[in-house]
Amino acid sequence: MGVVAAALDYDAELMLRVKDGDGASFGLLLEKHRAAVIHFVYRLVQEQPVAEELAQEVFLRVYRSRSSYEPTAKFTTWLFRIATHLALNWLRDERHERGQERLDDGSPDLPARQVLDRRPSVEQELLYEVKVQEIRQAIATLPEKQRAAVLMHKYEEMEYTQIAKVLGCSESAVKSLLFRAYTTLRARLAHLGRI
Amino acid sequence: MICPMESHNPEMLVAYAAGELDVEAASALERHLAECPACASLATEQATVWKALDAWEAPPVSPDFDRRLYRRIANEVHLSWWERIVRPFRPVALRQLIPVTATAGLLLMAGLVLRHQGMVAPPQARAETVHAEQVESTLDDLELLRQFAPASSAESVHPNAM
Repeated sequence: MGVVAAALDYDAELMLRVKDGDGASFGLLLEKHRAAVIHFVYRLVQEQPVAEELAQEVFLRVYRSRSSYEPTAKFTTWLFRIATHLALNWLRDERHERGQERLDDGSPDLPARQVLDRRPSVEQELLYEVKVQEIRQAIATLPEKQRAAVLMHKYEEMEYTQIAKVLGCSESAVKSLLFRAYTTLRARLAHLGRI
Repeated sequence: MICPMESHNPEMLVAYAAGELDVEAASALERHLAECPACASLATEQATVWKALDAWEAPPVSPDFDRRLYRRIANEVHLSWWERIVRPFRPVALRQLIPVTATAGLLLMAGLVLRHQGMVAPPQARAETVHAEQVESTLDDLELLRQFAPASSAESVHPNAM
């Protein structure tokens, strides 16, 4: 499996070069996966500064582990496993400390949209914000594993096998997790089709 | 085709909305959807949710993300051998330190409160003593008045007797 993974996965090859002291390869890995990791963590924790801080920790851990790195799995599986672990740990600590009041604090980290290009009306902008807020809340109510599975499936377009490896469960368990998650989301968000 | 709901394979409808089914499986499912209102309704709702989720864009990454990361990496390189050994235990140590510090603080507060109560208690006792003395003194005064009262009342009753 290790040799096969290294042969198939260009990222793993880059990581092996990092292991040999090639800093430029680390830069390439960062360039390639930076946005995906930050966006994934952001959708899990729903706070941009925290997401960037945790993403820094993810890449720092990758760098620290370079000397012991073995390509036993796809590089992104390892990367997202670290990211999921850190983000879910943060969520547990945060929930323990403050509960879930942040979800309703009325200050969502909405993305800086390209409003100047599309020039949406004030009404359209408000509708968009309401829609995004509903999506954020619906995702936030999902149990941790379901939430991580949906984000990897929907936004990172990962295959079931890879999601299973990141979450440490079987492929059928991932399918079941996703179906339950989407059932909840359908109940909460199906009306958005009318907006 | 067997109904995905009846064959305990509803995940197929999620995969269909996500565009994950191959052409053959997708067209077989579409033929089924034309005949099965329950599956058709679920597939429509799933497609709606799938599309709605696209609206949630993540914010752009900070321009100085890489600079901050490389600075942290540079700091790692200059860590002393002792810091490298201690680092993995630091989060655990911090997590354990917080409840221990909080407990110690609570105990200290409780001690101070109890000590404070101990210091306040004597004045209360003194107040009770003062009160008893006052009662006693009042009773003495009353007794004194009673001793003088017959004489004065006799004087007042028999002023002409003298």
